[in-house]
Amino acid sequence: MRLLLVEDEHDIQVFLKQALTEAGYQVDVAPDGKAAESLATADAYDILIVDLGLPDQDGISLILRLRELGVRAPVMILSARRSVDDRVRGLEQGGDDYLTKPFALAELLARLRNLLRRNSPGGEATRLRVLDLELDLLRREATRSGQPLQLTPQEFVLLEYLCRNAGRVVTRSMILDKVWGMRIQPDTNVVDVHIYRLRGKVDGNGQQPLIRTLRGVGYVIKER
Amino acid sequence: MMHSAAWRISLWATVAFACGTLLVFVFIERFVANDIQRRSDAWLSGEVDVLGDVAERTPNDALYGRVVSEVAELAAREVPNRQPSDSPSNDTVFFLQTGRDGTLKLWVGEGDGKTDLKAIQETRIPADRPTDLKVQGFRIPFRVATDTLNDGTRIYLGLSERDERRVLRKLLTQFFFMWLSLVLLGFAIVFYTTRRTLRHVREITEAASRIGHSDLTARVPTSRRHDEMGHLALTLNRMLDRIEISMHQLHTITDALAHDLRSPLTAIRGKLETSLFGVRDNERTEPIVAAIDELDRLTDFLNKSLDVAEAKANALRLTPSEIDLDELLRAMIDLYEPSMSERGLKVRLESDGALKILADAGLIHRMIANLFDNELKHLSSGCSVTVELHAVSGDAVLIFRDNGKGFDQEIQSDLLERRVKGKDSSGHGLGLAFVDAVVRAHGGFVEASNAESGGAVIAITLPTACEGLRLPSSNAVSASG
Repeated sequence: MRLLLVEDEHDIQVFLKQALTEAGYQVDVAPDGKAAESLATADAYDILIVDLGLPDQDGISLILRLRELGVRAPVMILSARRSVDDRVRGLEQGGDDYLTKPFALAELLARLRNLLRRNSPGGEATRLRVLDLELDLLRREATRSGQPLQLTPQEFVLLEYLCRNAGRVVTRSMILDKVWGMRIQPDTNVVDVHIYRLRGKVDGNGQQPLIRTLRGVGYVIKER
Repeated sequence: MMHSAAWRISLWATVAFACGTLLVFVFIERFVANDIQRRSDAWLSGEVDVLGDVAERTPNDALYGRVVSEVAELAAREVPNRQPSDSPSNDTVFFLQTGRDGTLKLWVGEGDGKTDLKAIQETRIPADRPTDLKVQGFRIPFRVATDTLNDGTRIYLGLSERDERRVLRKLLTQFFFMWLSLVLLGFAIVFYTTRRTLRHVREITEAASRIGHSDLTARVPTSRRHDEMGHLALTLNRMLDRIEISMHQLHTITDALAHDLRSPLTAIRGKLETSLFGVRDNERTEPIVAAIDELDRLTDFLNKSLDVAEAKANALRLTPSEIDLDELLRAMIDLYEPSMSERGLKVRLESDGALKILADAGLIHRMIANLFDNELKHLSSGCSVTVELHAVSGDAVLIFRDNGKGFDQEIQSDLLERRVKGKDSSGHGLGLAFVDAVVRAHGGFVEASNAESGGAVIAITLPTACEGLRLPSSNAVSASG
């Protein structure tokens, strides 16, 4: 996967490049709009990360310009602004995504994966399977080792979200956004309690634990 | 329409105008009436002189009656203001001569003259000027002039005031319709002009009310005329310019502050997170994880402080959308219920059903989450929270009621201020200030108090559609990183 990172802050550039490379991306870095334009048109990238505050121009203008030049790759917008611009919302509806700084790396990686998946055609699965945990998405039923799990509808949605991202870390704010549809940052451990309850049902009875907590980062459902 | 100023102004102006014109018309009418009276009196006096002359010169023989009667008949045809009458006989004029003893000597006119004589005898008629005489059987009085002849007899010439009155009545009717049309015309002109003027005021008001929290770029319409209205519009626009500039300055400052703090925060968080990769030793990761947690709290604090600061300055930027509060509260309770029951707390929703408001979804979500966080942090085990949602005359009323210890008495008066918190509170004292800021930004208000039976009550009133808040339009706000 080829990724173009358009970011002027040196510190952020460095750690993002490192993290993205570790995650398996081939990363090129452009420090300003001009460099980004020449790089994006010269090479074919699968995905772009664009910071809104560039030294030479506004990130949105750059994205619109790139679109005009025929760059079709999805864009992950990074913004240090608190309020979300109407034009960012427009781009979001057009298939791009945005993230406000500061963000969790896990969340950035998950959103990048989502963007890439959105961009590639593929049929929607009706069943999800992680080891001996099986989810029937049509009948909204889950089984572990063939034994049905008694889940509330909300717990099923939460488990489905974890399974769809099996092997990858999801953060609390991602869970709040995708499962409850809220972009909030609670002071309290509301998400942890939900996970704790879910874990009691999925990993109870002395079975091999599937749902793991990565403290300070988030949760992951893992096969090993 | 009845409440509009244009209507009121034109009504009063018309009343004043109507009174004025009425006075003028009454004056003219009086003048004309006097003039007619004067003319008919002059005619009567002249005629009675002529008749007296004729009666004196005519020998008092058998022909006397005929001669005088004919002269009298002749005179009757030259009556002033004469109106064509349906009856062939002449009932508007009578001539009467009394003998020395007061008996009827000669009578020319309708009937036998006895009633007339009786009326004359009952009334004193001065010789020098004509007088009104009421005759039995006639509704309208006669104007009578008299003269005493040398032989001691008296002659009376009577003229009915009927024609005179008819003329006056006709005049009065014409005057009335003239007055009415003048008043209506005046009303129409005043109403039209005041409405034109006030329409401009209304346009200014409408435009000003559209200029809301999220949109400061709109301006009130200006007219090319340099009158008071044009001046008002210009002044308002200049004021809006100044407000927009200071608001822009505030946004620039808070944005710059947010940006300058966020970039290093992002870098620090990223570095901490990357250092976690591949480390499996719990003892070594623990401080890093704690640092990340602290960092997230700091970010949240930064966001809330800036939001509260902006809201205090009435400069919070809102992106409105339609939110069903009932649905949102159910989702929130679904989210918070496990944590609450974990701590031995009960939560219950009392809602009137779906209640849609136009508001900034992100801010409202965070505000409600804040209220639940508050309850979670401050209630001790065994307490319960009741969340109520009602629609009260166009407003959404949201009440959080618990049976805990309530608010500390010392901070009761300024609960909604920044950095005010109870002695035992572990928060940074922004919670309720943030709630208050968000609610105010949406045109609502918050009341926090202790219930009489103990426990805290937080009542939030939010208008279902905040004035000046509209669904986002296509006009874009400039972006800066």
